[in-house]
Amino acid sequence: MSRRDSSTSSFNVSERRRRRRATLLLAAGCLSGLCLAGPPDVLVVAQSLDDITSLDPAEGYELSSMQAFTSLYQRLVQPDPDHPASMTGAGLAKGWQAEPGSLAFELRPDAVFANGHAVRPEDVIWSLSRAVKLNLSPSFILNGLGWTAATVEQHLKKIDERHVRVTWSAPVGPAFALSVLGATVASIIDERETGSHAESGDLGNRWLHDHSAGSGPFKIRKYIPHEALVLDANPLSPGDAPRLKTIVIRSVPDASTRELLVRVGDADIARDLGPDQYAALRDRPGLQLRQFPSAAVHYLLFNTANTDRPELANPSLWQAARWLIDYQGIAHGLLKDQFQVHQSFLATGFRGALDDTPYRLDVSRARSILQAAGLDKGLTLTLDVFNQAPFTEIAQSLQATFAAAGIRLEIRPALAGTVYGRVRSHSVQAVWLYWIPDYFDAHSSASAFALNLHDGSTSIAERAGWSIPQLSDLTLRAVREPDAGRRLELYRFIQTQVQQRSPIVIALQERSQVIMRANVRGYRQGLNADMVYYDRVTK
Amino acid sequence: MNPDGGGALRRLLTTLVRSAATLTATLAALLCVTFALSSLSPADPALKLVGEHGSVASYEQARHLLGLDLPWPQRLGRYAEGAFHGDLGISLSTGAPVARDLRRVFPATFELATLAMMGSAVLGLGLALISAVHPRGVTDVLVRVISLAGNSLPIFWLGLLALYLFYARLGWLGGPGRLDDAYEYTIDMPSGFVLLDAWRSGVQGAFPNAVSHLILPVALLVAYAVGSIARPTRAALLAEAGKDYVLLARATGASVWSVVLRQMLPATASLVLTLLALTYANLLQGAVLVETVFARPGIGRYLTTALFAGDTPAILGSTLVIGICFILINGVTDSLAHLLDPRT
Repeated sequence: MSRRDSSTSSFNVSERRRRRRATLLLAAGCLSGLCLAGPPDVLVVAQSLDDITSLDPAEGYELSSMQAFTSLYQRLVQPDPDHPASMTGAGLAKGWQAEPGSLAFELRPDAVFANGHAVRPEDVIWSLSRAVKLNLSPSFILNGLGWTAATVEQHLKKIDERHVRVTWSAPVGPAFALSVLGATVASIIDERETGSHAESGDLGNRWLHDHSAGSGPFKIRKYIPHEALVLDANPLSPGDAPRLKTIVIRSVPDASTRELLVRVGDADIARDLGPDQYAALRDRPGLQLRQFPSAAVHYLLFNTANTDRPELANPSLWQAARWLIDYQGIAHGLLKDQFQVHQSFLATGFRGALDDTPYRLDVSRARSILQAAGLDKGLTLTLDVFNQAPFTEIAQSLQATFAAAGIRLEIRPALAGTVYGRVRSHSVQAVWLYWIPDYFDAHSSASAFALNLHDGSTSIAERAGWSIPQLSDLTLRAVREPDAGRRLELYRFIQTQVQQRSPIVIALQERSQVIMRANVRGYRQGLNADMVYYDRVTK
Repeated sequence: MNPDGGGALRRLLTTLVRSAATLTATLAALLCVTFALSSLSPADPALKLVGEHGSVASYEQARHLLGLDLPWPQRLGRYAEGAFHGDLGISLSTGAPVARDLRRVFPATFELATLAMMGSAVLGLGLALISAVHPRGVTDVLVRVISLAGNSLPIFWLGLLALYLFYARLGWLGGPGRLDDAYEYTIDMPSGFVLLDAWRSGVQGAFPNAVSHLILPVALLVAYAVGSIARPTRAALLAEAGKDYVLLARATGASVWSVVLRQMLPATASLVLTLLALTYANLLQGAVLVETVFARPGIGRYLTTALFAGDTPAILGSTLVIGICFILINGVTDSLAHLLDPRT
């Protein structure tokens, strides 16, 4: 390894390819043109694409598909990559007028889809209503505006050839409505193109699984499930055309293989490596490590609805747990800066996020809390975690620190689907999970952590069996609040309540790390899962 | 062996009919067991469809859509009827018909496993013959070392090591994937067999590139499988070596190689056939780690991804295909063994 390290600069891609060519020519006789040099206008990204179920924005709701949507589609409004807090500049709407219960959007005059069709108000109405009617995974985001399959079309009206009015029946303010319309599920699709591929009333859903009909900077050339997603630049792209002609996102399921690919230069970018791999590659010549804050927060949840274990409903247990997590050790030691300590549900970077971290590892304080509550007689709890890194490592750290205070954690690693199934059926005792906001608004997280309406709707608070009528009212008040400053104040207060009183111990915020070749420039990534931007990348 | 040609034909027909009946019965049993196990799986396909945030009504609607609200015998009947007509359902993890997915991934596995099988058979039998002729010689030791290494070293670790050395360090061979990116997404793959498609494409350099990407995974699978063929074959040959007919043949002046090839090898043919069949079947379904490390599509990887995603239609479809391969290979082997030696 060290010899290779010292010679990296000379051991470049073309050299490696020359060697391979020479060797094979020697071995197999005349095999001219064996290895083509990687074209300079193609970006190769190595990551796993196994999570993609569909590339229809009305259905895809996984990390990889959401990352792709930003390249393929535009929404009416969407966060500006350079100023994520601002909703102007990057969407299809040139501007809008807000009134109580409605927004009137003006479409950009030059807005066109990749196939040359102009973006019309009809496309906006069709795209939003089809997402609600299809009723697939991400449709709940639009349901937040009070839209249902039966009513959605009443709320979307064409004003003229360039204007469209959006109304809603839910008691929410325009700021929240804008955030919802900035989610990937609200991507605007070419009705004429997609409609022509519809079959059996599926509104083009089957066709959009592996095709695109958007106005984003790229369009799908080819998608092979579990193998690759190849994107071509859209020459009609909004603003400047993308710098590179093609993006090849290769599905490479093994992290070590991804590392090899970026090391030798057959991939320009590699994602989702382990903490040790990032640490090893950090200072390697020819490579650069980029870190971006991520909106994902990790938390420990106690299921207070588990009647077999009444201790779980004891607030002293939750309080003690807050002092039994080795926040710094996990974030910076165990996981080598892939996380930062964060103890409130709004990730740092969101407006209104509470960034103070009042809790640290303090076993003696936890022990006294448990003693005062009579929970010091040797408590044993099961802890469910996903059976993959970094969850199992985090679970082991928790096991060690909780044991120091006399709480024995029995770790139950399982597939993510199994863990979610257990959480949904309220059969867990304690579980370590993570949360990524569904759209770029504080209500997305607040409605998860501080809303339990007992009406059949689901939330993290509901999963924890945490009954909070007053806090739920406050959360609903916050989303209705028209005054931006007052709204942020409310969210700060709600975060404090969850941070100090809930059976949900929020502990860490992820940092997204990406390793790339040194010549890659212009790559941008934001807080939310969908904020991955390839359009300004050069190499 | 039997001068009566009509008798041989009758025997062949009987064997084929018996094999077809066994195939049908085994497939039915396989379908029932896999379906029952999938039903017991804690993964919830309806939850996957509606997402964590889906309302109870949406969740129930998804369960109804997927037929999960029906009793499982009824679901099994529905599935079996669809499967009989080639409809294996829609994969929850790719959103595509399972039959289409399998048509895409199976040729890749078939190609890899068949090449590895051919390599293992040639190398394994060759090494077994040499080490049987020269027991405790250099080749004999080599067979033991290869067998031990192939069976004891984790194949994903060997794969990474091989990739690091021959692809990353020396640059001699192609790395992960079936082709370099320059070819992978420009040539069509109608058959799914990369060698065939690369050859047919007419694109200069595509075929040798496909070969250079195949060498490492095939070599690894050969290393994994060769011991399973070489060692039992060697043991069987050595067991034959002490028998009277061998001593007689040698006493009549026949050379060692002549006795081994003409007398001993045919005597062990049934065993060798069974070994080859088992190895082939294992390669067809057990290449998942190689497929993962080398980022190659294949049925092993498809099934593993489906298992992790709780994708019941894909799990059932893949299991059926692998089961059919097993049954067919076993059936063909039994028939061949029966023809070679009617006592079996």
